[in-house]
Amino acid sequence: MASSLSRVNLLPTTRTLASGVPLATKLNHAIPTGLAGGDHHGATGARSDVPKSWAFKSGVRGHLGKTNALPTSSSFQQRFISTSTPVSADTHHPMVGATGVRRTPATGVPDFSPYKAKNPGLNRTISYFMVGGLGVLGASGIKSTVSDILSNMAASADVLALAKIEVEMGAIPEGKNLIVKWRGKPVFIRHRTADEIDEANKVDVKHLRDPENDSDRVQRPEWLVMLGVCTHLGCVPIGEAGDYGGWFCPCHGSHYDISGRIRRGPAPLNLEIPEYQFNDDEEKIVIG
Amino acid sequence: MSRIHDAIYNTFFKRNSAFVATCFAGAFAFQITFDLGTTAFWDYHNRGKQWKDLRAKYVQAGDSEEE
Repeated sequence: MASSLSRVNLLPTTRTLASGVPLATKLNHAIPTGLAGGDHHGATGARSDVPKSWAFKSGVRGHLGKTNALPTSSSFQQRFISTSTPVSADTHHPMVGATGVRRTPATGVPDFSPYKAKNPGLNRTISYFMVGGLGVLGASGIKSTVSDILSNMAASADVLALAKIEVEMGAIPEGKNLIVKWRGKPVFIRHRTADEIDEANKVDVKHLRDPENDSDRVQRPEWLVMLGVCTHLGCVPIGEAGDYGGWFCPCHGSHYDISGRIRRGPAPLNLEIPEYQFNDDEEKIVIG
Repeated sequence: MSRIHDAIYNTFFKRNSAFVATCFAGAFAFQITFDLGTTAFWDYHNRGKQWKDLRAKYVQAGDSEEE
């Protein structure tokens, strides 16, 4: 009789919902504590997932097992037993396609391997590049701010225009002085004669208090441009006076020669030379 | 691919001195390119309206320039 059975039909015990969760009422899916952690290899002590002794009826010697496998599914389904290798459940999870997250069925821990960096070097390069890019932007911003503040403090174009004066060269005959006011200070301009140039060049500068050659003090020998402020205490020297044919400071008696060098008296330095240039097109000396 | 990233890391990022120097050099280059780029865009946006575009119409060669 038994040999005539060729096929075993079992009633389905579970039904899978659309979400992939098996619908099995009256079944406890709660995983025992510690079971989700793995296989307990290397763990010391008693297994944590063993039920406590008070959970058993320890007085019972024998164990009577009786299982009533009633169908839990409402609809009748044929169930086959297959011995082929089961396809791993995670690839069959219905949400894999949508989320890309694979769930390991035994533990329920999501598999984050799709999020792992495929090339750690690229990640590192991008991170440092972002930091460096912030540094680049910050450095250029700071540089612009500083240069803007500094240029704000510098003289503007109208002030610079006022800070220059122009003197017509034709207005000064040979052998004459002209005193002009430049930035609140007097400026001596002398159109020197050839004799005066010779005289200025003949002086042995080694014996002077502030040794300076006449060629270092003038751009063109016939034009001597100096600040008319005595280097002693700031008086204005008098032109064509003094023992050396140049300038003489009346306050404390400093004598300057025809090149504006200090020769006698308390002044320590030669008369200062301002910044100036010649504008030959318009026959002008531009001071400043 | 990872060799390239390692080379970049070892050249620019590994030493702080190289990193900071790269940042400053990059800032220098960035400022120049940014200035040139924005100026070029401004000139393009206002082409035909600026004095350097109109100058040829009003200043003939040989005219003494008024200051």
